[in-house]
Amino acid sequence: MASIHKLLIGTYIHRNFLRPRAAVPPFVGNHFVDYSSSSLQKQVASANKVSQQGKTEEGLQGHDHKEVALDVPSPDRTPEVSFDKAIRDEAMEHFRRLKDEIVAHVRGPDGRPLHEVIMEQARVVWQFREKEDLDKWILTSDKTIGGRSEIFLKMSKNNRSALLYGTLSSEAPQDGESNQSGYCAMISRIPRGAFERKLSYDWSQFNTLYLRVRGDGRPWMVNIKQDTEFIQRKNQMYSYFMFTRGGPYWQEVKIPFSKFFFSNQGRIRDVQGPLILDKISSIGFTLSDKVDGPFFLEIDFIGVFTDPAHTEEFAYENSPDLNPRLFK
Amino acid sequence: MNPITLIIIYFTILMGPVITMSSSNLLLMWVGLEMSLLAIIPLLANKKSPRSTEAATKYFLTQATASMIILLVIILNYKQSGMWTLQQQTNNMLLNMMLISLAMKLGLAPFHYWLPEVTQGIPLHIGLILLTWQKIAPLSILYQFYQLLNPTITTILAISSVFVGAWGGLNQTQTRKIMAYSSIAHMGWMTAILPYNPNLTLLNLTIYILLTVPMFITLMTNSATTINTLSLAWNKTPMILTMTSIILLSLGGLPPLTGFLPKWAIISELLKNNCSTLSTLMAIMALLSLFFYTRLIYSMSLTMFPTNNNSKMISHHHQNPKHNFILPTLTVLSTLTLPLSSQLIT
Repeated sequence: MASIHKLLIGTYIHRNFLRPRAAVPPFVGNHFVDYSSSSLQKQVASANKVSQQGKTEEGLQGHDHKEVALDVPSPDRTPEVSFDKAIRDEAMEHFRRLKDEIVAHVRGPDGRPLHEVIMEQARVVWQFREKEDLDKWILTSDKTIGGRSEIFLKMSKNNRSALLYGTLSSEAPQDGESNQSGYCAMISRIPRGAFERKLSYDWSQFNTLYLRVRGDGRPWMVNIKQDTEFIQRKNQMYSYFMFTRGGPYWQEVKIPFSKFFFSNQGRIRDVQGPLILDKISSIGFTLSDKVDGPFFLEIDFIGVFTDPAHTEEFAYENSPDLNPRLFK
Repeated sequence: MNPITLIIIYFTILMGPVITMSSSNLLLMWVGLEMSLLAIIPLLANKKSPRSTEAATKYFLTQATASMIILLVIILNYKQSGMWTLQQQTNNMLLNMMLISLAMKLGLAPFHYWLPEVTQGIPLHIGLILLTWQKIAPLSILYQFYQLLNPTITTILAISSVFVGAWGGLNQTQTRKIMAYSSIAHMGWMTAILPYNPNLTLLNLTIYILLTVPMFITLMTNSATTINTLSLAWNKTPMILTMTSIILLSLGGLPPLTGFLPKWAIISELLKNNCSTLSTLMAIMALLSLFFYTRLIYSMSLTMFPTNNNSKMISHHHQNPKHNFILPTLTVLSTLTLPLSSQLIT
């Protein structure tokens, strides 16, 4: 078992070494962490505390704790690992999910009757009421590329909202190449179905994004990613700004989907098009305002709704008649 | 896009199936298929958005694979028999490969996965071309060689297409996907009768195009891409919604509308050939198709989605500027031609 752990550590280090200046894909990193944490729970009793602390503090800081624990296996207990049983249980779990998906498809879109879906005006997509709700999000900052920013996510004291907090630092990493840095981001995980198939959200019946947040006055960027299969989607997203107010009161932010603009690698694309809402893979929040210091953003829920008064299809006029040079 | 380029593209799309239909040489048939395939890709990707580009990519990958298989069949057939046409002595493997490649072209199940996704990612008027005009070329090839095709494989493709078209259309909220699954189901009906009476296949294709074109025109008039959009059009275009409802019932094969004619003829022909089980299964699946067509009618006429414009009727100052002069004629043809059944069938 120790050799397996060393192999996993080596694999992760090897991956990290191959891309020293690029951010490690958060999903891959978290996937590795999840696997090692489950192994730790079976090996040593004290690993539970380490894994719990790791879940409390998401990001690389939690990962460091797990790495330390992996190097000190307990010699007193022999590992009790049954790969056959684990594989069988995993397969049964996936088939159960497949059955649930088939039943839900027969019942209606998203498992609800069609007349409910047709008459639906608002929907809460993400809410924060339990600790498990935090597992649907991935945290990332420029610490992955050598920066000094930190970001954490935890439940509030009364378990009614999530608190996103940390420290933003625009100090560039000392790698000899980077001269700018400083960002913190939170991205929702891509929903997965049976056999790890990609799923997506269908928001085509809504026209406005609804956020109930409480911030400290910092501006955030709200990013929405579409689910595409061939097109390089890693850097393509639709973005818009969210200006928070400091203070004790909750802020209800309503952003029409027509306001989102298309950007690639942080650059706004010249030829714009509206956000297509029937295949949304994830939503994210990015803080990168070049103001060093602590930040916090409390999120109650994230939803979508239909605003009957908003009839705008796209906010940015872009056509061959208006901008002929762009369409040559 | 440049108007001259558009003219060339549309002319190529027009000539592709014409070349295929008017050829008895397999190589020229393939040329026609390739012309229509390559000419429509710029139209698919014309919106310059990731979704339309992805749809064009999916379409190209699928259709290019089918074209490769067809070309392989043509070359192997020429090597085997020295002729550019299929013969009675042609290898069964080649005939089956030809049938499967044409099934991929048509979007028959189980090679149908590309059709809803591509239809969803393209504009409505391009979807109209994709679901109507692009079906003519592969079907003309099937019509020419129906006697040589394996009836068992043909029947399996037909049954699976009818099932997939019926079940897939349930619980869909996107109108373009509904039309795509409608196309899959109708292609299944056409394929089912092909081994027994190919003339009914042509009749079914004609009526299917006659029903689908006005349906797409009404969707384009209302810019309806979701069901909720249709439910908001009751006070803007009430007559068009009424026509849409009747056309949907006709698509579902409800008597005494036009859509009942091919279903009636196909079921009776299948019964003459002792295919009662096949006809029974297809009739049951037709009810499923009628069910999701009726759901569309329910959402556009029996529900009132909340809106800020609740006046009973829009005044003449806000009339819809998208006039379409061929819609009344097409509506009449798509709903009232059942009395001509004796002339159409014989």
